[in-house]
Amino acid sequence: MDSLHAIGFYVSSGVSLAGALGVALLGGRDLRGASMAVVGVGLAGIYISLSAGLVAAVALVCYAGCALLVASPLYRPMASVVGPLWRQVGAVGAAGLLAVLVYSAFRGDFVHANFYGGAFGVANLGRLFFAHDALSTEALAVLVLVAFAGATAVWRVRERTR
Amino acid sequence: MTISLVAVFFVAAGLIAAGAFAAAWRRDVTAALAGVPLMFAGAGVAFAGVARFAAAGGPQLFGQEFAVVLAIAATALVALGLGIAGREGPR
Repeated sequence: MDSLHAIGFYVSSGVSLAGALGVALLGGRDLRGASMAVVGVGLAGIYISLSAGLVAAVALVCYAGCALLVASPLYRPMASVVGPLWRQVGAVGAAGLLAVLVYSAFRGDFVHANFYGGAFGVANLGRLFFAHDALSTEALAVLVLVAFAGATAVWRVRERTR
Repeated sequence: MTISLVAVFFVAAGLIAAGAFAAAWRRDVTAALAGVPLMFAGAGVAFAGVARFAAAGGPQLFGQEFAVVLAIAATALVALGLGIAGREGPR
C-alpha cells in the first residue's frame, strides 16, 4: 500500500469524522443534511483507499439519500420524552464507548493477511451477493421494501386522519 | 506512511461514538435518528478494514458485502423513521 493510498485514507477519515461531528452538533436540518453528505463523501474515500470501490459507490448513493431525507423540510419534529439528565448520561456513555473501542483496537492483536481482491471487486462481490448469500440479499430487499412501503403507508394514514 | 487495521478501527470507533452521541444528545427524535447511519457507517468501515487487512482464509469479501448491507439498511431505517415521524402539516 503506497503513501498516496494512506494520505487518501487519512484525509477521507478526517472529512468523515468532521461530517459526523457536524451531524451530532450542528442545528438546523439543512446543516445536518449537508454534514451527512460530507460523511458520505468521506466514507466513499475511506472505502476506495481500502480497495472497496463498489462499497464506496453504494455508500455514496445511500448517504446522499440519507442526506436528502435528513435535510427535507417535510417531516415533523418530535420532542423526546427523555429528560436532560438521561441525555447527558447517554453522551457520557458515548464517550465511554469511544474509549473502550479505541482501547480494544489499540491493545488487540490482529491477524495480518494478504489481500488478493481487486480495487473494485464487482465480480467477486456479485458472486457473493447473488450466489453464496442470495438469501441474505433477499432479506435485505425485503427490509428495504418494508421500510419504504411502511413509511409511505404511515404517511398516508396520517394525512387521511388529519 | 501506511494504513493499518488499528487506524481503521480508530476511525470506525470515532464514527460509532459520534453516532451514539448524536442519538443520545439530540432532543428532537428525528434529529437523533441521524445518528443511526453514523453508527452503521462505523461498523461498515470496521468490516471493510477486516476484509482488507485481516481476513485470512475463506472468501475475503464478506466484510465488504456486510458494509454494503449496512449502508442500504441505514438508508431504509432513516426513511422508515422519518415516515413514522409524519409529515409537517400546513400552518
